[in-house]
Amino acid sequence: MQEAKLDFLKELANIGTGHATTALSQMLSGKLFQLVVPEARLLHFEEAARFVESLEQVVVGIFIVVSGDVKGHMAFLLPVDSAMVLVRLLTGDDSGEVNDMALSALQEIGNIMITSYLNALSKMTDLLMAPSVPGVAVDMAGAIWQSVLAGAQVINEVTLIRTEFYADGESIEGNIIFLPDEDDFKKIAVLLGLGEG
Amino acid sequence: MSKTVLITDDTAFMRMTLRNVIEKNGYSVVGEAGDGEEAVALYKELQPDLVTMDITMPKMDGITAIKEIMKIDSDAKIIVCSAMGQKPMVIEALSAGAKDFLVKPFDAERVVESLRKFGS
Repeated sequence: MQEAKLDFLKELANIGTGHATTALSQMLSGKLFQLVVPEARLLHFEEAARFVESLEQVVVGIFIVVSGDVKGHMAFLLPVDSAMVLVRLLTGDDSGEVNDMALSALQEIGNIMITSYLNALSKMTDLLMAPSVPGVAVDMAGAIWQSVLAGAQVINEVTLIRTEFYADGESIEGNIIFLPDEDDFKKIAVLLGLGEG
Repeated sequence: MSKTVLITDDTAFMRMTLRNVIEKNGYSVVGEAGDGEEAVALYKELQPDLVTMDITMPKMDGITAIKEIMKIDSDAKIIVCSAMGQKPMVIEALSAGAKDFLVKPFDAERVVESLRKFGS
């Protein structure tokens, strides 16, 4: 049962992140993205707290609350170095400063990637997954991740999807993390003929 | 005289991107709104020929703003530019009175095509 659920998660991750990186590629016209096969994990709360590596590394986090037929939380975390590469590719600003326009660009990148992910899942299931206005923060990975888990009110298990991709010969790492509410996750599984998942 | 456009989006980056595309193609951007409330107030004040409208925004979302603007001017030409391209949302926006729905990330050409179609 667990195996089937993880396979199903990987498929969702593949589709969602595939659409998210396609969206990013379109924003950076001409930039080719190589997508590393996503990793889907189903973890208990205590394990989830340790899921994000390098907890003291400074990252940019963009997060969205999902409402509608499927509720949950989504976060896009990327190291500041990767974020600055994206800002440079998108705006031409190579100062490396996290200024207001850089944050605004990152917020929009995160918004478009996360929403493209949700759009793909919505199309598959015909369920509405409406994103909130995205929040954006620059902080230590551990601090951001804790606030995402707190916001999601994770009690038992949490679904996590990790992705990595590269652009233009430069390594841009990012984690897109989807935490669907457990009941709504079952709703998707049933709709797609996977029983209880 | 060039057609006037009001841009509505909650991120400064997307407002800048849209402004570049729109101005490069001979339209005049007369205002920028960061949320639905601002869009409604600026529509009253500026009476633009065209409006671009994001959906997910703080204070007042794009769907509500479309309805409010249509109450002021039933001939308003509103083009939605949103990442949120799910069917129920597209239907809601079009029933509220939007003329077109562009899903982000969009091609500059697609934006211009829509402005031409509904601005003439």
